[in-house]
Amino acid sequence: MSKNKRRKFNDFILNSITYLSSTVSLITLLGILIFIFGQGYKLLNVDLIVENFESQGYVADLYDNVRLCNCETTIDIEDGTYYSSKWGIALTDTTDLLGKNVVMVEYVHPKSPLLNVRDKGIGNDPIELRDEYHIIRIAFDAYPTALSRYGAENMINYLDANDSIREIEFQTEGGGIRGSIITTLYLIVLTLLFALPIGIAAAIYLNEYAPINKFTKIMRSLIETLTGVPSIIYGLMGLAVFVPLTVKLTNATGGNLLSGAMTLAVILLPVIIRTTEESLKVIPDDYRQASLALGASKTQTTFQIVLPSAVPGIMTATLLAIGRIIGESAALVFAIGTAIKDTVSLTGKSTSLAVHIWAMMTDEPANIELSATIAIIIMLIVVILNILIKIISGRYMKRKMGLNI
Amino acid sequence: MKCLVEGAFSIEKLTLFYGNKLALSNINIDINKKQVTALIGPSGCGKSTFLRTLNRMNDLIPNCKVDGSICYAGENIYDEQSDVIDLRRRIGMVFQKPNPFPMSIYENVAYGLKCQGIKDKTVLQQAVKKALVDAALYEEVKDRLKESALSLSGGQQQRLCIARAIAMSPDVILMDEPTSALDPIATAKIEELINDLKKDYTIIIVTHNMQQALRISDYTAFFLMGEIIEYGPTGELFSHPKNPKTEDYITGRFG
Repeated sequence: MSKNKRRKFNDFILNSITYLSSTVSLITLLGILIFIFGQGYKLLNVDLIVENFESQGYVADLYDNVRLCNCETTIDIEDGTYYSSKWGIALTDTTDLLGKNVVMVEYVHPKSPLLNVRDKGIGNDPIELRDEYHIIRIAFDAYPTALSRYGAENMINYLDANDSIREIEFQTEGGGIRGSIITTLYLIVLTLLFALPIGIAAAIYLNEYAPINKFTKIMRSLIETLTGVPSIIYGLMGLAVFVPLTVKLTNATGGNLLSGAMTLAVILLPVIIRTTEESLKVIPDDYRQASLALGASKTQTTFQIVLPSAVPGIMTATLLAIGRIIGESAALVFAIGTAIKDTVSLTGKSTSLAVHIWAMMTDEPANIELSATIAIIIMLIVVILNILIKIISGRYMKRKMGLNI
Repeated sequence: MKCLVEGAFSIEKLTLFYGNKLALSNINIDINKKQVTALIGPSGCGKSTFLRTLNRMNDLIPNCKVDGSICYAGENIYDEQSDVIDLRRRIGMVFQKPNPFPMSIYENVAYGLKCQGIKDKTVLQQAVKKALVDAALYEEVKDRLKESALSLSGGQQQRLCIARAIAMSPDVILMDEPTSALDPIATAKIEELINDLKKDYTIIIVTHNMQQALRISDYTAFFLMGEIIEYGPTGELFSHPKNPKTEDYITGRFG
């Protein structure tokens, strides 16, 4: 009887630990998701994804012969938008893609003197002040300068009180992450292009060809050790080896997409080798023997029987690799650099989404909301790629093997 | 070294070591063409090892050392010049556990031919059909050649493996306990098939089942501790065994 009780007590303790631990881990993961979505949903919009990061800034003044227009407008002026009929311009308070407060041009009347202003930079070219531009400040001859931080209403009041403008500073909308998204996709494709063939070939060698001896054992444990090396060390290696290499071979001037992809490929090699080797290991020896007994060579057996059977495992390796590529930031800070660029090229300096987050968080002040928004986008990309790869590999298995997985 | 063979194989002084362990010692037999030769004996007696020396599958095992000669088609197959890939094309093999590749039924049968470099689709299709017909499987699978071979039943899978072997049009088919993983009905079908196939092929079959050896084989070799104790026509060996050890085994006193 007491034995029975003790067993029941032990079972209860073990079960409680299991339930408690799983609850804690689920709550933690859920908490992270809630935090990221809670912080990030506000800035999540299509503009963020498709817009440039860099904004173009202008300082301009008026042409000498402008006349104030006193344009009455026919368009609806909503609450929070302020219109100066004297200058024919509507301004509104809003936040930009980074979540900062700005004064945005809502509407410019066709006859407004501000429609065409003179760039004070080289050339004095005419520029058009368009909708959605952000006005930073407007300076007057005999009046305090109107700053965007005091809001749209203040700026309109100042405009109405003046008949001339000495200087107006404005910029195009910026802060989009399009460049970083494209760079991330480039990095995924390039890195897999480098890492998958080499990693799979190495796994085939280790599992199918390598003699079973001390040397192979040491090789294998070295590879396992490499999975535990902090990625920043790979980043240093990228900086020391791949950056000079690509600078020498291409027209790159510093860290670039190619050197970043090469560095990531090296980081991924151990993971890909390990995962592929595991999937090769579970392929029954029967297949190899049957193939050899049919007069197939070892190479034919490896590439036509063993490797296709390992495709599901290789797909797992690819998914792990993609996750790692998207998530990697420390190594890329060295191997690509942290410059956020809109024009992406193989030898250019654009950077990935993870480093974009890093750059946003090291801004003063740290932009947590935008970082969370980018995190949401990263998660969406991972989910989409996972689904795509599952569909592709499912099709392949069905076509090649007649199997449904 | 050329050697003369009248039958399918002529084996002389064959000795095989796994490392230091003697697995076959001084085997001397001739195996007849277009007949079924059964290899019987208790587990670990070397009959499967012997079978695998005939298409050199033992080459795959590290530390395996073979002495003596196996004469096949005028050549010692353990000669250095002997081409093992060519040998295995002429000597097919069926394994204990049905082991179709994880591909479609069609691809399974066509695989060996494709490895030989045959790419012509009509040639492949004809060869696949003929092999499946000869293996008495065609009627059952003709509508689903594109489906996975793994969707077949165990007996069908084993017949597919036989079809895969005969698609190569070999001279010899080696069978390593081909029915040990099958139920009695599937076993009967395979035995029937073996009976049909011996018109065209030399068949050497390892079996644990003495009734099966008696039913299907023309010659039987009894192995014990890596040696051949007795070898002769099946009827004679089972009705009048010359060696008392053979008698003990076939009457079920050990094994």
